[in-house]
Amino acid sequence: MEKSIENIWKEGFLKSDALVAPKINNLYNQKSIHIIDKFKKMFRINLIAIVVFSVIFLIVSFFVGIPITGIIFFITLTVLVVINKRLLNDLEVIDKGVSSYEYLKTFNQWINEQVAINKKMSAFLYPIIFTSLIIGFWFKDAEGIFLGKRLVYEILIGFPDIYLVYGIPLIGIVIVLFILGLLAFFGGRIYEWDLNIVYGRVFKKLEELMDDIESLNN
Amino acid sequence: MSNDFYKTSILPFAGIIIKLCRAYTNSQEDFEDYYQEVCLQIWRSKDNFREESEWSTWVYRISLNVCLTLLKKKKNNGQHFVSDSLPAEETEGSYAFSDESLNLLYAAIRKLSEIDRAIIMLYLEEKSYKEIADIMGTNFNNIGVRVKRIKMRLKKILDGKIN
Repeated sequence: MEKSIENIWKEGFLKSDALVAPKINNLYNQKSIHIIDKFKKMFRINLIAIVVFSVIFLIVSFFVGIPITGIIFFITLTVLVVINKRLLNDLEVIDKGVSSYEYLKTFNQWINEQVAINKKMSAFLYPIIFTSLIIGFWFKDAEGIFLGKRLVYEILIGFPDIYLVYGIPLIGIVIVLFILGLLAFFGGRIYEWDLNIVYGRVFKKLEELMDDIESLNN
Repeated sequence: MSNDFYKTSILPFAGIIIKLCRAYTNSQEDFEDYYQEVCLQIWRSKDNFREESEWSTWVYRISLNVCLTLLKKKKNNGQHFVSDSLPAEETEGSYAFSDESLNLLYAAIRKLSEIDRAIIMLYLEEKSYKEIADIMGTNFNNIGVRVKRIKMRLKKILDGKIN
């Protein structure tokens, strides 16, 4: 007689091999390695994206008449990529054979070091990028004359008494210096904000995993 | 996860966890991953258990949610189960019980939608319609009809295989 699905189910599980629970092992090791591998992959993609962007921007900058901006951008971002690639190389040597907690702790230390270095660099990076934009547009050709000079002439028509320093309105210099100061001061925070947008989820998972393992150890 | 917690709170329900995980996976490797993840999530969620339901219901619910989440993640990552790309015969051999009828039944269950798989598993575990509705978070009036339809579908699949 044909068996009902209920009987197949009941009888099938009476046999000893059907309900053998797998051993709970290595779970945290797998998870730690997975999270760190994911981070590495994202970090690598991020560096490649910066390289691609800086090259494209360099080419485009020549076409739109702001080559100085493109060159400064390219050099600055190349330095940034080289430093971060070196940091990434340090990450590659972390021993996957150690316990997951040790592995995560070492990775965490690496993250802290990487963040500290990049925060310091950001205090220069953002002002440099801003300066490159100002210089690039200042020297952009505007019908046979630099755009910056043309702008000054137009300002002088409206405000003939404006105070100039080396042909540049003092108020303009003050504003630029103020923005540079702000960018230098908040550079680190801008970097952290940027970092959280890209890697926030991975960091959160890492934190949860470390908490889990710590609570296990206690 | 402490050994005690595993022994006292998870191991007595290992049977249903295994059965559920098997219904959502097609390889031993996936099965072990799912099983471990379910156990870990039960342990992690233990403090959220409010005793409004039985511990077993809680375990079923977490097991199902974890299986469905992992399945979704896999699909989103573009990782398809072996059954998606290989004929059923090829997958069954590599991941089988010694009972041939049970293998066929599992293969048929894996052909159901994710939710139908969950419902029929709970039904086969002799959960009442009310309990199934409770675990699934759905209206219990529809469960009976749904179970009937799923059983018919399973029978059709099994008949096709046997004949």
